Amino acid sequence: MVEMINITKRFPGILANDRVSFSVKAGEIHALLGENGAGKSTLMSILTGLYRPDEGEIRIQGNPVDLQSPRDAVAHGIGMVHQHFKLVKPFTVAENIILGLKGIKEVYNLKSIDESVAQLSREYGLHIQPDSPIWQLSVGEQQRAEIVKILFRGAEILILDEPTAVLTPQEAKDLYKTLRKMADLGKAIIVISHKLSEVLAHTDAITVLRGGRSVGTVRTKETSEMELTRMMVGRPVMLETVKNPVNRSSKVLELHNLSALGNRGQFALKEINLDIYGGEIVGIAGVAGNGQRELAEVVAGLRAIERGQKKVDGNDLTLASPKQMIQAGVSYVPEDRLGTGLVPNLNAMENYLLKGVQKMPSGFINWKQVAQETAEVIKKYDIKVPNPKNPVKMLSGGNLQKLLLGREISGKPRLIVTMYPMRGLDVGAMETIRSLLLQERDRGAAVLLISEELEELFALSDRLAVLHGGEVMGVVDPHKTTFEDVGLMMAGKRMAAHG
Amino acid sequence: MGNGSFSRWHFEKRETTSNLVLVMVPVLSVVIGLIFTGLFIALTGKDPLEVYLLMFDGAFGSAYGISETIVKSIPLLICALGLSIAFRMQLWNIGAEGQLYMGAFGATWAALTFPDWPAYQLLPAMMVAGFLAGGLWGLLPAIPRAYFKVNETITTLLMNYIAILWVDYLVVGPWKDPKSFNFPISPQFTEGAILPTLGTSRIHMGLVFGVVVALLLYIVLNYTRWGFEIRVSGESPAAARYAGMNYVKNILLVMFISGGLAGLAGMTEVSAITQRLQHGISPGYGYSAIIIAWLARLHPAAIVLVSVIFGGMLVGGYSIQTSGFSSTTVSMLQGAILFFVVGGEIFVNYRLVRGEKGGK
Amino acid sequence: MKLKRKYLFMFLSILLILSVAVVGCGGGKQASNAPAAGSGDKIKVAFVYVGPVGDAGWSYSHDQGRQYLVKEMPNVETTVVESVPEGADAERVLTELASKGNKVIFATSFGYMDYVEKVAKKFPEVVFLHATGFKTANNVGTYFGREYQARYLSGLVAGKQTQTNLIGYVAAMPIPEVIRGINAFTLGVKEVNPKATVKVVWTNTWYDPAKEKDAAKSLLDANCDVIAQHQDTPAPMQAAEERGKFGIGYNTDMSKFAPKAVLTSPVWNWGPYYVKTVKAVMDKTWKTEQYWGPMSDNIIDLAPFGPMVSEDTKALVAKKKDTIMKGQWDVFTGPIKDQQGQVKVQEGQKMTDKEMLGFDWFVQGVDGAIPSAKQ
Repeated sequence: MVEMINITKRFPGILANDRVSFSVKAGEIHALLGENGAGKSTLMSILTGLYRPDEGEIRIQGNPVDLQSPRDAVAHGIGMVHQHFKLVKPFTVAENIILGLKGIKEVYNLKSIDESVAQLSREYGLHIQPDSPIWQLSVGEQQRAEIVKILFRGAEILILDEPTAVLTPQEAKDLYKTLRKMADLGKAIIVISHKLSEVLAHTDAITVLRGGRSVGTVRTKETSEMELTRMMVGRPVMLETVKNPVNRSSKVLELHNLSALGNRGQFALKEINLDIYGGEIVGIAGVAGNGQRELAEVVAGLRAIERGQKKVDGNDLTLASPKQMIQAGVSYVPEDRLGTGLVPNLNAMENYLLKGVQKMPSGFINWKQVAQETAEVIKKYDIKVPNPKNPVKMLSGGNLQKLLLGREISGKPRLIVTMYPMRGLDVGAMETIRSLLLQERDRGAAVLLISEELEELFALSDRLAVLHGGEVMGVVDPHKTTFEDVGLMMAGKRMAAHG
Repeated sequence: MGNGSFSRWHFEKRETTSNLVLVMVPVLSVVIGLIFTGLFIALTGKDPLEVYLLMFDGAFGSAYGISETIVKSIPLLICALGLSIAFRMQLWNIGAEGQLYMGAFGATWAALTFPDWPAYQLLPAMMVAGFLAGGLWGLLPAIPRAYFKVNETITTLLMNYIAILWVDYLVVGPWKDPKSFNFPISPQFTEGAILPTLGTSRIHMGLVFGVVVALLLYIVLNYTRWGFEIRVSGESPAAARYAGMNYVKNILLVMFISGGLAGLAGMTEVSAITQRLQHGISPGYGYSAIIIAWLARLHPAAIVLVSVIFGGMLVGGYSIQTSGFSSTTVSMLQGAILFFVVGGEIFVNYRLVRGEKGGK
Repeated sequence: MKLKRKYLFMFLSILLILSVAVVGCGGGKQASNAPAAGSGDKIKVAFVYVGPVGDAGWSYSHDQGRQYLVKEMPNVETTVVESVPEGADAERVLTELASKGNKVIFATSFGYMDYVEKVAKKFPEVVFLHATGFKTANNVGTYFGREYQARYLSGLVAGKQTQTNLIGYVAAMPIPEVIRGINAFTLGVKEVNPKATVKVVWTNTWYDPAKEKDAAKSLLDANCDVIAQHQDTPAPMQAAEERGKFGIGYNTDMSKFAPKAVLTSPVWNWGPYYVKTVKAVMDKTWKTEQYWGPMSDNIIDLAPFGPMVSEDTKALVAKKKDTIMKGQWDVFTGPIKDQQGQVKVQEGQKMTDKEMLGFDWFVQGVDGAIPSAKQ
């Protein structure tokens, strides 16, 4: 019913989709599986007309289409239920359904619309009252209202973005029952998810995306959790990384029984105990969203610590500000390179100064010196900066990361926290980052490496900690552990530490 | 791609914006504003070119015109400089008008409280009082903005009305001049409270303040740590926090200074121009300053230039009346320019392209 | 980032709204200029108005006078600058007019006083005439009419008309000119209706249709059934009309704007004075003076009565007007009591011009307060 062929989409600095092909048949529930940042949302945004692909072709019912806008997509029978519902709270279900709908007369008969909504709802077993205002509905009901809205607009292809993220288990089960019914009535359903078990239980086919590329499509019946995990996190191909033997010095970072809240007020980190020594790389493995970001932010001083203690080089820095953490020698390469780590509209020089400015003794900036230092870093790490006066948002992903990491290690930090440092980079840039991190380790710095790529973690880490649900499942020696064991820990199994 | 024959106009995000575009967008906006208003003037049967020439002549055609244009541009300049700091941090301070009024209030308080002080004491006292009063008025909406993310656009706008009414209250009530026969004006300032002027013209020391502030601002923004922090904070609050900058503190400080400068503008107006507090000391300087700061792309030197042009527009606006043209021409011209400048902003970040959007 | 964009959007929207507002507010009319093509000596005369000519009130009445001047004296070329705030801009406008060769400049609002004084010093050969003010110089005269006489007569009409015995008065600023008008009006009301009270609301603006209307509405809400005004626009009259109540206009015949409400209006007739003054300047016979023209000079009058005014009332007004015109009687003749009931003007005494020009108290029957400077 829908075919997406060799779709490529670039954003400044990121290759979001790289020749991704993907097809869904009528009557099928098809899952799009992948970690955060794997390119699922971009692909679906292309299908719903929000973005236009740089390359590739979309076919619907076998005919090539050009989706220039969401309106075009709707006209081709494509509808999407977003993770955050797009409903007007004080309006009723029926009112929301006709909102923004073309072809509705100025004076319309809400009653007849109510009726057809009720009929749709019966047909698909959605159980929704057209005249209830949205604010009175539960989250599950709101989701059904979204589905009815899309069906009302004649959708044949339904896309649901993480539909069960907000639902209770019972609601989730009911949702899949409804989806199955719709599939049986000839609709094509695409479910974006990263929940393995759910996808295995309820879908017909699964396409796995990783790093913007399609890893493959499998029939749900013919696959297993293990295979899917491997597809998601990468194949166990050990890379040849020349690594000096570990030479641990003193404890640099100590976390004792540390707990912190996530953005929604829940505990995202629970009773974390983790020490990192100078001269070692500690990797953090885990499915995205299990506390990695919070951990990095806590260490960098950007997130408040609820309970527990944080020490750097023996000094208690539990309550330290980001500035104090920087002064304590903690560098941080955040997940969001362009926007947090670097300022898109500032040039390379200014971005290089971003952290150094705190150290300017007089409060005045010596631009000559900054320019010189920046030029040195650019040369040293072979960063391709066509014009140092241009905003850095024009740089490619690899050069951005080299600039960012180059800046972060320029002050010879004690601890480097780095999150997904290789994500989206080409092989050459990856190699540079990799060797830079190892160099820092050999220099004596402590490195906290958060990644979703197991191969990367196995190759670089001296010890590997696995996070699940905000807790450390165990700390292992990657040389004495298998991918499978780590995969099990990522799924929530505790392991005795042997690292 | 599937369908190459489609060729609709649509906007596409610019990867970068060249300096040429940055300069041309405001310039073209002004030109289009002139043409647009010109059409309306033509509709009334007058020659738009003649009107514009008369305006120019009134504002820049004589020594007196130039001096008055400068007088008019002083409060615009100081307010716009203040706004430019806030805008640079992406704090949308619409409250310069109210902050100006509060500055006038602060300065008047000093002038009325210490009437016997000599100028070298009283003027600095008025400047400090004006700056503080305006600054605190800017700080007030900054607090909820910094701590609770309350939108400052609305709060600063609404606080303008409070400030204006507060001054109205003072001049009809407690601060009314007993000798004014109940006309709502404060007592005239004493000699020491009046800023010195240049010769017989009305050009006063506020011009020096404006130029000095512009210079200082240029240095602070480009060569100091704090100026850098403001730029980073404006571009990306997340990066500012990440880099160890105190984002919250900077919001408060920036809004205080932004308001303080507007307050200083208020001080110069009451001290040099009206020489007393009264209703309507500002015919919307604080609002015009928004357009000026915007047109000048927040660059201090450009702000000086644009302020003078705007001052000339206001002076020229009255001037054309003496030749029989309506005063509303200028209101309309200003409105049209503002409209096109704001509308033109889209071209800074987007470009209009025709047809299919392909890869690069 | 998202939040920021939302702010930016809101900021831009507000700018757009402001820009539309700026355009929208500038809805005033083009001042008409009548360049003279007459014979003889040409003379340039300028007028400065506080509101737009189209205010249908004060500035409009002056512009009527200007047009009369141009008609009577074709060799006069006039220039008009409207909507000049009573502030810093006035000084520049006056300077510019003087330096552009205008020989006579009429500044028609009280708040121009200090600026007239300043600019007049720099242009001793130009004659400045300041309406309603009190500062004079060799080349500065003041002019006004005894509008209180017409106010008194309109008070008679209002006093007869009211049913609720409550009359509202929308007043601009608590200066002697306005206070005097309120007092005269109240004396008229009390003359025919001792039980009635005049409620005063200050707007602190000469020209602000919206504010004026709101003030009138508040008075109507307080059960007033006749609204008088000392404002520059007919907005208070329109408010009265909307509520089916009555009103006393001011400046010009405001019955055009509220035909069912307006009983009458004290109206200005500046034309003859302007002609006389300009002639005097041309003949070099002009001398500085504080001209305060009585009704008998025809500078101030009552507009024709509305159809709802009874013949009785008309006759009464005519009789009183006659005594005023003949100079047999004037409004502020004792006994007059103030709000506290103290006799301020003894029986048989008349207030002097100086006393009237410095009025700072209300007569009995006024419900309202004069904001005092001494606090």
